[in-house]
Amino acid sequence: MGNPFAAGPASRIAWSWLVSIVFLVTIQLGYAEDEKPETRQALASAITSTGDEQARIIDGLAETGSPLVRQILVSWPRGEIFLYTDPAGTIIPVTLDADQDGAGKAKAKRIDTGVWLTDAAGQPLTFTSQELKLAETDSKLRKLIRNTLDLLTLADPQPANRVSAVMKLGLAQKPANLAVLEARVDKEKDKKVQKALAEAIALIQLKNTDPKIQAAAVSKLADLHSISSLDIVKGVAADKTADPAVTAAATAAVKSINGYIQVVNFFGTIFRGISLGSILLVVALGLAITFGLMGVINMAHGEIMAIGAYTVYVVENVFGRGLDLSPFGMRISIPGLNATGAFYESYFLFSLPIAFLVAAVVGILLERGVIQFLYKRPLESLLATWGVSQVLQQLYRLIFGAANVQVNSPRWLSGNFTFSDVIFGYNRLFVIAFAALIVFGTWLLLTKTPLGLLIRAVMQNRSMASCMGVRTERVNMLTFGFGSGLAGLAGAFLSQIGNVGPSLGQNYIVDCFMTVVLGGVGSIFGTVCSAIGIGVVDQSLQQILLNPVMGKIIVLAAIILFLQWRPAGIFVTKSRSLEG
Amino acid sequence: MKKLFFTLLLALVAVVNSLQAQETVKVGVLHSLSGTMAISETSLRDVLLFAFDEINASGGVLGKKIQPIVVDGASNWPLFAEKAKQLLEQDKVAVTFGCWTSVSRKSVLPVFEKDNGLLFYPVQYEGEELSKNIFYTAEAVNQQAIPAVDYLLDQGKKKFYLIGTDYVYPQTTNLVLLEYLLSKGIPIENIGGGLRKEGDKVVSAGKYTPFGHTDYQQIVSEIKQFAASGDACVINTINGDSNVPFFKEYSASGLTADDCPVVSFSLSEDEFRGLPAKDLVGQLGCWTYFMSIDTPANKKFIADFQKWLSSTNVPGIVKEKRVTCSPMVLSYDGVYLWKAAVEKAGTFDVDKVRDVLESGSISFDGPGGKVTMQKNHHVTKTVYIGETKADGQFKILKTYTDVYGEPFLKGTFAKK
Repeated sequence: MGNPFAAGPASRIAWSWLVSIVFLVTIQLGYAEDEKPETRQALASAITSTGDEQARIIDGLAETGSPLVRQILVSWPRGEIFLYTDPAGTIIPVTLDADQDGAGKAKAKRIDTGVWLTDAAGQPLTFTSQELKLAETDSKLRKLIRNTLDLLTLADPQPANRVSAVMKLGLAQKPANLAVLEARVDKEKDKKVQKALAEAIALIQLKNTDPKIQAAAVSKLADLHSISSLDIVKGVAADKTADPAVTAAATAAVKSINGYIQVVNFFGTIFRGISLGSILLVVALGLAITFGLMGVINMAHGEIMAIGAYTVYVVENVFGRGLDLSPFGMRISIPGLNATGAFYESYFLFSLPIAFLVAAVVGILLERGVIQFLYKRPLESLLATWGVSQVLQQLYRLIFGAANVQVNSPRWLSGNFTFSDVIFGYNRLFVIAFAALIVFGTWLLLTKTPLGLLIRAVMQNRSMASCMGVRTERVNMLTFGFGSGLAGLAGAFLSQIGNVGPSLGQNYIVDCFMTVVLGGVGSIFGTVCSAIGIGVVDQSLQQILLNPVMGKIIVLAAIILFLQWRPAGIFVTKSRSLEG
Repeated sequence: MKKLFFTLLLALVAVVNSLQAQETVKVGVLHSLSGTMAISETSLRDVLLFAFDEINASGGVLGKKIQPIVVDGASNWPLFAEKAKQLLEQDKVAVTFGCWTSVSRKSVLPVFEKDNGLLFYPVQYEGEELSKNIFYTAEAVNQQAIPAVDYLLDQGKKKFYLIGTDYVYPQTTNLVLLEYLLSKGIPIENIGGGLRKEGDKVVSAGKYTPFGHTDYQQIVSEIKQFAASGDACVINTINGDSNVPFFKEYSASGLTADDCPVVSFSLSEDEFRGLPAKDLVGQLGCWTYFMSIDTPANKKFIADFQKWLSSTNVPGIVKEKRVTCSPMVLSYDGVYLWKAAVEKAGTFDVDKVRDVLESGSISFDGPGGKVTMQKNHHVTKTVYIGETKADGQFKILKTYTDVYGEPFLKGTFAKK
């Protein structure tokens, strides 16, 4: 008699085992199924309980160090934890599976046991997110959750994450966290985390009632140059009820930290100025050759930069998933290499020479097609190249679309390292090195190679060089090609810090001419000086005036005044052709 | 005899003409289809044409088919006024849907008031304006900036850095936000970006960069120091493609959405088509519509729009990788609100339609939820806070239902 009934539960158990095994195989990360039952129970009761008890349980969760706790605590304030009330009236917190069926329903997993929620027959229940009650959080609760998450992060393998967690715990100034932080001091090997720990401990000690400890903590923060604690120390200094010794120490600390910030800003501004100057230099160097040396007013210079940027876009997509273009109604599919990891990240290095070559070829075509007929008529060349720039912009719209395109920076260009609170972005360091390299390359080409000799000869006196047997046409073509190639390199770099779109060139063309004219037309060294000069002055003015618009206006006004005083720029080139 | 024949023929032509005229109603579409704003505004033209086709397929308005008159403002503000004049005086349109930038709206406003036209304006704006001839389906400041700040305050943020492009919308919005933050007990030294005062009066709050600004190093390093003391966030009203260098610099400097989130008011799904969304993952957005809203109405809207796109033969329309966004949906809602008002009034007459719209009884269940036109020409609607995902869509974090649109906010927040 009892047999049919006995088989039911047994098969149900077997079935649920099967489910958990399948689950283990499908989702290997995150939800560790071998989580201790107590941890799961504590998590579930943390979600369902209220008030002080809830606060106590959430605080206690920090000690588990469990990845599951972290995962649930991260998804809770994001509204990804739901409450299910079973027929008996018990509230069970659950998470919904990422796999949804056609109706948007997904299986729900119990947080307290880690198994799927099932009906009486053992079939998994499915829900849409609207059908379940959301486990709400308010700002007080979220604060508690964040605190526990920060405590869990103290053992994170990434030092940067540890620094961030330590600082957050310090800034929260909860005396309860002091012991945990002090315990970490001996275990911590990383210098930056050690400094953060010292700052955090001093910050919490500020909450101590003993004025001596408070004063010592304030002085410690001043010694540590703790920018993060400036707001809090300022608060202490302004606190009328505090012990006079503490107030005095805090006032001194504010002064010391502010002084430190001044130093940081000074060096930071110089670095940012040099990096902005390097960008100006990179974009203007090509023009310094085509305009400065050759005397061609090339309004399409910006559009040639855009070619470099679009080249990077194409190369990135070829390394990635491929590219579909539809120029002139045709459909062109460029297959991708589907590269990943370091090979994909290196796409930018491959794209640099390609950008140079593509831009150089377009430059040579432009020279052969338009500019060679206009060497003696600069005004016509201005109009003709402006026309070319419009044609090129429209061409980009036709090929790549009117909207800007996305270029993802490789990871090695998008980080930074911080030295004494001055941020050195990798992309900024890269552009400085890059600018130095191409200036050096240009200098080598112009002064140490036979081609450079011919270029200089032709630029100084075209007819005399021609009389001496130099094929001036060919030299003109190569020089213009080289200048355009440099513009392509500039565009390739700009794709890493800004927009890639049809009007990319328009944003930089004025800056380019300004830099070359200020430096002295015809002098590469002058271009270097003016680029770095404009960069540093611009950043310093921004720092002093705290207003980018005013900074820019003042820089432009200063350049106008400077050119009134020295019309030929910083370095006046003495060349025969200019005299004539 | 010959004469009579001609007269008859002329009469016949006149009758046919008038019959045709009875069957259609002219509706103006006034957006920039060329110039710098074309990228954003063309999408609105597309969704309007889609809405007209949808309405025409189901019988039109008062039995008349909508005949769209599309004109190009060409991102040129005086031209907007001329085109508006052409629509109202030459084409005699019943209603116009159009404008994106506040400056274009300000330049057509006198034209609509003089000729007693009707304009529906769909893009988030700074408020402080109320014309009897304009209906603002757009997000008012209290339907975008204020809920976003509420959300951040609720997240425990204590320091706010204001940054924007230097023109009327960011400047006005930030002044309102400054008042609001002060009223919420945020001390003035916790509001970053700088204040400009004339006497005691703050005339500008926050940091401003020109259109097309490319160098954000100094500003980002300032934000980094500002955020060092924790619980900070950034309110971003930078417009257009300057967002790319800003966010690239932001992520390169090591600032993350966890430590110091940025909430942007000018970046919708449509803008993400040209932005590296990877650099923005986790940053916040606030609109009255997101493409990711999970309702049958929205799914149907998106599917119908895509279907329309694939079959339409509007010249030069972009058919690939199209998304829907808040300004598009608010344009679409505007068309249906107008339709409902016309049908209730039983006439296309501007004054009567306006009376019906002002009655507060005109609602539409749009893709973003129910919208109701208010007496003050603004719209009650649902506000969503979302988090950017790597695919340029938003994950909705918080919903505020039935937020009343209030254009005049300056000076309404009492300081605590």
